[in-house]
Amino acid sequence: MKIISCIKPVPDPASRLIINETKTWIKDQDLTFVASEADSYALEEALRLKEKHGGEVVVISMGGEEAARVLRSGLAMGADRAIHLLDPKFKGADEFAAAAALASAIEKDGGANLVLAGVQSDDLGTGMTGTMLAEFLGCAHATVVVGVDAYPDRNTVMARRELEGGINETIERPLPAVLTIQFGINQPRYASLKGIMATKKKEFKAWSAADLGLPDEAAGKPGAMYEVKEIAIPERKSKVEIIGGTPGEAAATLVEKLRKEAKVF
Amino acid sequence: MGRDFAQPVTAVVLGSGTAALADELKTRKIERVITVEDAQLAEYNPDSYVQVLKAILEKERPFLVVIGHTTQGMDFAPRLSVALRKPLIAGCVEYEKQGDRLILTRQIFNAKMNMKTILRGEPPYLATASPGAFPGDELEIGGNAEVVSVPAEIPTASRRKMIERVEAPKGKADLTAAPIIVSGGRGLKEKQNFNLIFELAEAMGASVGASRPVVDSEWLPREYQIGSSGQTVSPRLYIAVGISGAIQHLVGMQTSRCIVAINKDAEAPIFKVAHYGIVDDLFKVVPALTKIFKDLKHS
Repeated sequence: MKIISCIKPVPDPASRLIINETKTWIKDQDLTFVASEADSYALEEALRLKEKHGGEVVVISMGGEEAARVLRSGLAMGADRAIHLLDPKFKGADEFAAAAALASAIEKDGGANLVLAGVQSDDLGTGMTGTMLAEFLGCAHATVVVGVDAYPDRNTVMARRELEGGINETIERPLPAVLTIQFGINQPRYASLKGIMATKKKEFKAWSAADLGLPDEAAGKPGAMYEVKEIAIPERKSKVEIIGGTPGEAAATLVEKLRKEAKVF
Repeated sequence: MGRDFAQPVTAVVLGSGTAALADELKTRKIERVITVEDAQLAEYNPDSYVQVLKAILEKERPFLVVIGHTTQGMDFAPRLSVALRKPLIAGCVEYEKQGDRLILTRQIFNAKMNMKTILRGEPPYLATASPGAFPGDELEIGGNAEVVSVPAEIPTASRRKMIERVEAPKGKADLTAAPIIVSGGRGLKEKQNFNLIFELAEAMGASVGASRPVVDSEWLPREYQIGSSGQTVSPRLYIAVGISGAIQHLVGMQTSRCIVAINKDAEAPIFKVAHYGIVDDLFKVVPALTKIFKDLKHS
């Protein structure tokens, strides 16, 4: 089985995010980027499927050095080769433009039996890209997947999906398919020293928009379906009462308020 | 939104046995109800939904299509956006009208920031509405909507076989009836620190809950999870410790009668739903609280 695992570089969750001057994104120059958390679960699932069924795992990412970095970590975890969508023209892509570029790259690479992506990214976080990718590729998909069993001989995949209200459903879909992987489906492995050493020998391709045959109007910002008007820290609607003082004082005041004011005791 | 943009509102109902819902909808203050009644739509299939809706939208050319930001809505809305080559803004929490332009707001970075978006190109535009962001019970009664039946156009039916639908394994920790819940999040840093939560809960006679990252890191079993994919709770008192307050967590606890948040990050979204907040180091505040409750018990 050939499995492609999509990885989005996002600011390290511990970083302090500051909105840029034009208020259209965050100041991302000095941030450390890591793989979006859900994408790490997707890659771990891809590696486990390969261990079971054979074949190869290809990691793919779009962006500058930050994308190269998450791809190298993916190779160190055990992916066989990497595709880096590297071109200033990709900058400013929304989910639609990103999915279009990923689909072109996957087709250029000869397609895949399974394409795995995290259910949502840690930055935009809307969970659109994987599903859009399936439509661009014209293949089946399953979202919010918490369990995968592939049957390459029957050309099908069984996906257990997490629905609202604590319900799980298992569906059978034909291959090729795109699966968006839910947080917590597995425990992603750490890269071993051997794995890190091995990355140097693995294939690492860089493709531009032109390599993908994407016209300028379809890549990056011109290919996006929406523009960012403004980014802001939301106003607080609630009238939260912040209790000050030393930790001991704050704790005492809180208990007093819970008893006398909120009357929950 | 229909009123604000002077646009008629049409409800579209897909499935098998759509008549009952259509009958209910036509009594509301909307202009039309379109039903697509077909046995092929009895079981949800995103590919069929996309084909049927694409045909309807290309014919109707509405200004905006609103879909629920639910697991099912987000299973087909992105495909529909690509099939139509029209913009989708998912997880909308607000909208505004600027002239004739529609500005949709959605949350990014785990609800830490809001992003206002301008949709490109000609309508229709697509949006999924975040649960709880727009009150759904305000659909006024008193209309006389026209009901139109449209045949389903599904030229290429795809294979999606439902094998089973079951309740996700749930353990002993049923929190839905708990009067007091102390819940811990990623701010506790490591598994053994969760003892602080158990100690406070014991001193208060409370139950213990957790946010998703705690469960994903296997500090606690899945049954402790509170939020959209875990349990939905509404206790008398909810104490969130080291929980930043991702929207998925908030929807599972925001109806609690009294919410206390303890977090060192003053910007954490949990403070938006909290009634009382302590912006400080949980490793100092929680032991202090535990001590007070222990002393209270003994006095």
